[in-house]
Amino acid sequence: MTKLYSKKSTIILFILPAFILFVAILVAPIFASGYYSLFNWNGFGKKTFIGLENYRELFTSDSINFMKALGNAMLLAAFSVFIQLPISLGLALLLGRGGRKGERGFLSIYFIPVLISTVVIGQLWLKIYNPDYGVLNVALRAIGLEKWAKIWLGDEKTALGAAFVPILWQYVGYHMLLMYAGIKSVPPEYREAAMIDGAREGQVNRFIVIPMIKPIIKISTIFAVTGSLKSFDLIYVLTNGGPDHATEVPSTLMISMLFLRNRYGMGSTIAFLLIFLCFFFALLIGFAFRDKEVVA
Amino acid sequence: MAAPLRQKSTPVKEIIVYIILGIWALINLFPVYWMFTFSLKNNEEIFGDNVAGLPKHWLWSNYSEALKTGHMGQYFFNSIVIAVVTIAIVMIFAMMATFALTRMIWKARKTMNAFFMLGLTIPIHASIVPIFTTLSRLGMLDTYAALIIPYAAFSLAMGILICSGFMGDLPIDLDEAACIDGCGTWGIFFRIIVPLMKPAVATVSIYTFLQCWNELMFANIFCGNAHKTLPVGIRNLQGQYMTEWGPIGAALVLATFPTLLFYVFFSKKIQDSFIAGAIKG
Amino acid sequence: MRKFKLMSLLLALVMIVSSITACGKDDGKTADGKTKLTMWCIATESDSNRHAYEEAIKEYQAAHPDVEFTWEATQNEEYKTKIKAAVASNEMPDIFFTWSCAFLGDFVDAGRVYCVDEVYKKYASELPAVMMGNVTYDGKYYGVPTTMNIVGMFCNMKILAEVGYNEVPGTYDELIECCDKLVAAGYIPFGCSGKETWCVTEYLESIIEKTAGATALNQIFAGKASWDNADVSKAVGIFQEMIDKGYFDPSGIALGNDEVKANFMAGKYAFYMNGTWNCADFAKSDIADSVKVAEFPVIDSSKSKLGELIGGPSDTLAVAASSKNAEVAAEAAFELGKAICHYGYLDGNGLPAWTPNYDTSSLNALTVAVADIVAKSSQMVLFGDTAMSADRANIYLDYVSKIYSSKINGEEFVNGLVKDIK
Repeated sequence: MTKLYSKKSTIILFILPAFILFVAILVAPIFASGYYSLFNWNGFGKKTFIGLENYRELFTSDSINFMKALGNAMLLAAFSVFIQLPISLGLALLLGRGGRKGERGFLSIYFIPVLISTVVIGQLWLKIYNPDYGVLNVALRAIGLEKWAKIWLGDEKTALGAAFVPILWQYVGYHMLLMYAGIKSVPPEYREAAMIDGAREGQVNRFIVIPMIKPIIKISTIFAVTGSLKSFDLIYVLTNGGPDHATEVPSTLMISMLFLRNRYGMGSTIAFLLIFLCFFFALLIGFAFRDKEVVA
Repeated sequence: MAAPLRQKSTPVKEIIVYIILGIWALINLFPVYWMFTFSLKNNEEIFGDNVAGLPKHWLWSNYSEALKTGHMGQYFFNSIVIAVVTIAIVMIFAMMATFALTRMIWKARKTMNAFFMLGLTIPIHASIVPIFTTLSRLGMLDTYAALIIPYAAFSLAMGILICSGFMGDLPIDLDEAACIDGCGTWGIFFRIIVPLMKPAVATVSIYTFLQCWNELMFANIFCGNAHKTLPVGIRNLQGQYMTEWGPIGAALVLATFPTLLFYVFFSKKIQDSFIAGAIKG
Repeated sequence: MRKFKLMSLLLALVMIVSSITACGKDDGKTADGKTKLTMWCIATESDSNRHAYEEAIKEYQAAHPDVEFTWEATQNEEYKTKIKAAVASNEMPDIFFTWSCAFLGDFVDAGRVYCVDEVYKKYASELPAVMMGNVTYDGKYYGVPTTMNIVGMFCNMKILAEVGYNEVPGTYDELIECCDKLVAAGYIPFGCSGKETWCVTEYLESIIEKTAGATALNQIFAGKASWDNADVSKAVGIFQEMIDKGYFDPSGIALGNDEVKANFMAGKYAFYMNGTWNCADFAKSDIADSVKVAEFPVIDSSKSKLGELIGGPSDTLAVAASSKNAEVAAEAAFELGKAICHYGYLDGNGLPAWTPNYDTSSLNALTVAVADIVAKSSQMVLFGDTAMSADRANIYLDYVSKIYSSKINGEEFVNGLVKDIK
């Protein structure tokens, strides 16, 4: 058995298909980005080697304002960890306890936004936010809160929040289903035993259920954070980074550098930094959760 | 299943819980309703006097418009082909790799695992030009493969992560028993391990499906007319200077409802396999 | 033994990969000896130019049975990404749609575009050299213009009549007076999309031109004069004053151009300044009977005059230097350009860059009016975002969007541009 499982050629055969695909499509571009980030290059003309100048410009230039984009992405990450995931967890706990009517129905409904294409979700929310006829402003006016009606995606003060809501909303169902599944697989005896000991429902959730689904929460957190750092599609459809960069995130900035402003070197610099940041946060979260798992 | 023992909640508390669940359900159902009504309206109603109500004139012609000029049928077919093949590739490759990573014995496997996890972190848009170049050198631009290969690669890391959870839980005794019965590595993999991975299939499939069903940039750039997918079709309905929203709404519905129907029919199965695979995540 | 297996496996793999790579090469001919040509453009199914492209291609295919012609259309925004990815990896189609001036210029500088000087000679009698200005680099021609467009001020005469105007206000003072009356009567004078900054430039560039003069603006766009120009900052001030006085729909800042245009066609605005490619749509719309088009009035008559316009031939077809059949492709580009121009003009998608030699009596009234404005024009300034190189154009657009949201004033605008555009 050990011999069978240590055979190098078999191991290679098993790992090779995934490995080749991975290297060709994912790893090679990382190196390419790292390399191009050292050049002043428009993507097709002459390359000029400029060392780390792109990195310096990225962090210091006002007209690029990378820190703003990065800050927005970090804010989104914070929102998804501290708002989106708790909502998911709350819903999952409410449904996962079992015995409520329509449990499966709710579960199915909550998953619907996940299944709708991002392009579609984007169009939908553009309509909801439409300053004149959008459902949101129409509703606010109808209940007499005229003052609260705003140009949601056009006002720098509200655009970022308005763009975040659909992003957070869309994936609540996904995280919820993961967590619900975890809660369902907590053996009912544990719950019963705690109840017999006089624990209230909240306490059962707090001390039995949540610790047991910690691995799932960890995965969800990694998703939420790296997903936020990489977020692109909805922002692209909703605001494309505007108004005046108020909703710019690193990915939209990267695309505009690569393909609108013809600054391929600078775009590669952003790509490279983004990969680094995502990897760093994934490790960090993994580390943070590892510590606590021992206790649980 | 016997109802688990639980304390009685007070009726008031229960009502609050249902209200919360109900509100969230409404928030999630509204888009479906909105999309459906909007697909049957004309521009004036959409932009103006009738944002959320039922259409005044039911314009089914929007649908024939979307199918005819928008080629939604073709795009839908393309999306399905690409999604199915991508899911198949991700499943097979991820299970094979996971098998080597979780059960076989070799030194670099921890490193290799970390290496694959790197894939979770790479923003898909960073690699447009390198992948474009690779694909065009391979003569694969404007084929289904032009999308299947990158989509599969980008879903692979997640596939391996999910499969690891499931496979790590299968006792190694299974393999040993099969080994004693005279199975080779391939035999163990295909006859023992793969059949036990059924619950992972749903989880991986959904993840992969969402990746390829939604993706816009690659689909637009790597494929021409014959192989475009639904999101591209929807974007293409908006021309440079001109937009007719009713047919776009119809296209949105056509792009969404088949998936929703499929989900409604199979939601129990999908949820069950999620549950079977939980914790291990 | 094991090592041998491993090696042979790897070898096989390398061979498979390289054989796939090898079969990617071809000589630009089909199996039966036809010439293969491919074209990329932005005429998607719902684009108003779709019909013109379809007709043009049908004609070309009928006239050239020896050519296997394939084409595809990509949505405008994504097309910019697609064509640049193709240029970056030198895997372009034979013929591609492009915007003239700086957009094409970057590709020309990189040596990726085929020079069409030779083929142009055949068509010189139908395509005046003056129309080739925006595709001329170092004295050589690199593209085929199709239609040309200017910025027009479209007016809904029905709304103007409500405040007592039967004609489009001809002077700047009259326009302001008219706007004041409109605002007082509860109408919104102008609609402008803030989400798509190019829409703001349609207004701003017209105002700058009519304040500083076409020559000055051309010099600035071409990089021959500094942005540091008192007239520019004065013009920005005028524009912002119009915004402050409530001449512009405040919702516009969050809307896309499609939505703003739909608002105009629904009779929400009195004026809408945008490209003349809109003529076809307006002529088909419910307000067709009440729309007129005019040029923006002169603000400073000591520097500018009527007849100085924003616009010019921008839509262009170009040929890839890497094309296996570059000469056939170049000829095709001219044939197609001519036909697209022909059908596009008749459809009302803009004015012809090519001299029309066909019956134009079916033209819609708006396009005829635009043709009249252009015929009287003395000087044109190409759209800023087309005239400037990509990086500069986007810095410029950034500042323009700051103007529209009133974050900066005219002085800060010129100072910022002087600082950031090097």
